[in-house]
Amino acid sequence: MWLLRKEWRELVASRSWWILLLAMGPLVGVSFISAVRTYAEASGLNGTAVGQGVGEAFSPLVGVWAPTFSACELAAAFLLPFVGIRLVSGDRQSGALKIELQHPMPAFARISAKALVLLAGWGIATTAPALAIVLWKSYGGHLYPPELATVVFGHMLNAGLTIALAAATASVTEHPSTAAILTLSVTVGTWIINFIAAVHGGVWERAAGYTPTAMVAEFQHGLIRLDVVLVALALVFAGLGLAAIWMRLGVRVRRRVNESIALGALTAAVMFACTFVTPSWDTSESRGNSFPEADEEALKEIRTPLRIEAHLAPEDPRRADLEHRALSKLRRVMPRVQVHYMSATSIGLFEQTAPHYGEIWYELGGRKTMSRVTTAEGVLEAIYEIAGVKPPPEDEESIFRGHPLAVPPTGAATVFYGIWPAVIVATALFLRGRASIR
Amino acid sequence: MLHVANLTKRYGHLTALSEVSFSIRPGEVLGLIGPNGSGKTTLFECLGGVLPADGGTISEDGRALTERERRARVFYLPDAIAPWPAQTVRWALDFTAGFFGVRHVSDTCLTPTDVAAQLALEPLLDSPIGTLSKGQRKRALLGIGLLTPQPILLADEPFDGLDLRQTREVAQTLRAHAVSGRTMFLSIHQINDAARVCDRFVLLSSGRVCGEGTLDELSAVAHKPGERNLEDVFLALT
Repeated sequence: MWLLRKEWRELVASRSWWILLLAMGPLVGVSFISAVRTYAEASGLNGTAVGQGVGEAFSPLVGVWAPTFSACELAAAFLLPFVGIRLVSGDRQSGALKIELQHPMPAFARISAKALVLLAGWGIATTAPALAIVLWKSYGGHLYPPELATVVFGHMLNAGLTIALAAATASVTEHPSTAAILTLSVTVGTWIINFIAAVHGGVWERAAGYTPTAMVAEFQHGLIRLDVVLVALALVFAGLGLAAIWMRLGVRVRRRVNESIALGALTAAVMFACTFVTPSWDTSESRGNSFPEADEEALKEIRTPLRIEAHLAPEDPRRADLEHRALSKLRRVMPRVQVHYMSATSIGLFEQTAPHYGEIWYELGGRKTMSRVTTAEGVLEAIYEIAGVKPPPEDEESIFRGHPLAVPPTGAATVFYGIWPAVIVATALFLRGRASIR
Repeated sequence: MLHVANLTKRYGHLTALSEVSFSIRPGEVLGLIGPNGSGKTTLFECLGGVLPADGGTISEDGRALTERERRARVFYLPDAIAPWPAQTVRWALDFTAGFFGVRHVSDTCLTPTDVAAQLALEPLLDSPIGTLSKGQRKRALLGIGLLTPQPILLADEPFDGLDLRQTREVAQTLRAHAVSGRTMFLSIHQINDAARVCDRFVLLSSGRVCGEGTLDELSAVAHKPGERNLEDVFLALT
């Protein structure tokens, strides 16, 4: 308890946390105001889409909360690491670590206390998007708590990853600036994985599914994948474990290196095992990550393993369509589905004239069919055809109609650009008076 | 009695400590004397467990201590640090007492208020540690060290930054704690300061122990019986 209180005081005393808080308001404000304005215009504000029904398909999750909370992703990538590094490195820089290390408390408990306090600090920073929710409600906007909770959970998990990474780099390196460079290098490294995945596909594509960017994107669409959550938690524990190993200044470097290697190997094994975990939950009101319920029931009846061979290059937009509109949904219902992408190039531009390019082959129990359609309906039709299953009738009532809202973001600018910074500065000054903030 | 045997520490090819051996007796004020670069801080850091030693043992009554046992017996107070710079002296003392546990002296608890009074820290209690002068910070650090519950306190340069009057007052305080049962092991490069406060001495030069004992014992080893000047004894032995 003493350590938690101490870490909290150190966090409150750090300028970096206050800067994070200060920046969160305008960051969220820009995203929220822009999202609400676009949402309103698409819903018919100023007569932009009156009678055309554009707004009918709108979901607040995709239209408002995904862009609004993307400010959290930005802050987690570029601001939160410095708060974490400051809290961990500060003890080493000031010499406090040499004093605290002489307490028999395990190093992992020590770093966990820091991580918990940082997570609480991040929780306070997310008051800014919480204000956006209050504003949205005051406009008469619709809220669907499960999907919103998923977005919040995803960003907390992402913050946990950032904190663990910052703690690890701050413990491994001697100086905070080195830790900052290392942390940003890891972040950039995950972007490179995403880029390589987009070009080469295959294993890279599978690995890219577990990068923070991909993870957050799924949560922002209301999808909770257990494998992603488990991999993220494994990485969080690995990061904190690494920090704990390197925090022990009194242990020989060779032993710390060996322990780090063992931890890395264990984490890799756990992560690999986690990738075989298949349960997932679509918490979005629009069921944007799922086929219609009737189709899901019909697909669950197909017991024979399904094999799909798509002749599409990694950078071909049709492949992205096929993956996001159909195959990602299919994998959730049929975990044993095997998908193989075939292509000779990465962009596919010069393969268009190849005899089989663009073909999608479906094979089930010895029966095969080919289609070139990449929509969910087209994929389902092909599967039903070879499975000999009668397509279920379309349920008009279950179709998501959306929640249009043609209201401008009144007062949001005042809240995020005026009141928020003023409150943060006033609180910081008040606390400085009470317990001298450096 | 705590016995340090063959403690060795290397930084690459440089040997900072070479088979250092000596004893620490209960309730004594032991002085670690040596010039700059002799390995005093390295020795303290190894004993305090914040720097890994390459060899050697720490034993008590003939039995080697585990890491946990060593931590329970020895507290190392580093020199030239400013822990928790944004926090006040009052908070640092309260935190130390709360985090490490309360030290008992003659069946009574030693409180942060007691230590603040002993080290004349009262006017500084509400000042952030980062704003203190070198001498003030040294006294605040000593307050932290005195509050810790371990029976042996290793203090690196406890008089560094203090003026003459403060040095004498702090020396009296340290002696009073030694009288009440706490062992003090002080690393001091000012030999005159050491001679004033310590019961016994460990002389360290270039990472080796050149002598251990009281002034009389060291004078005898240096073939200068009756010599009362520790500086001369030290020079004769190193």
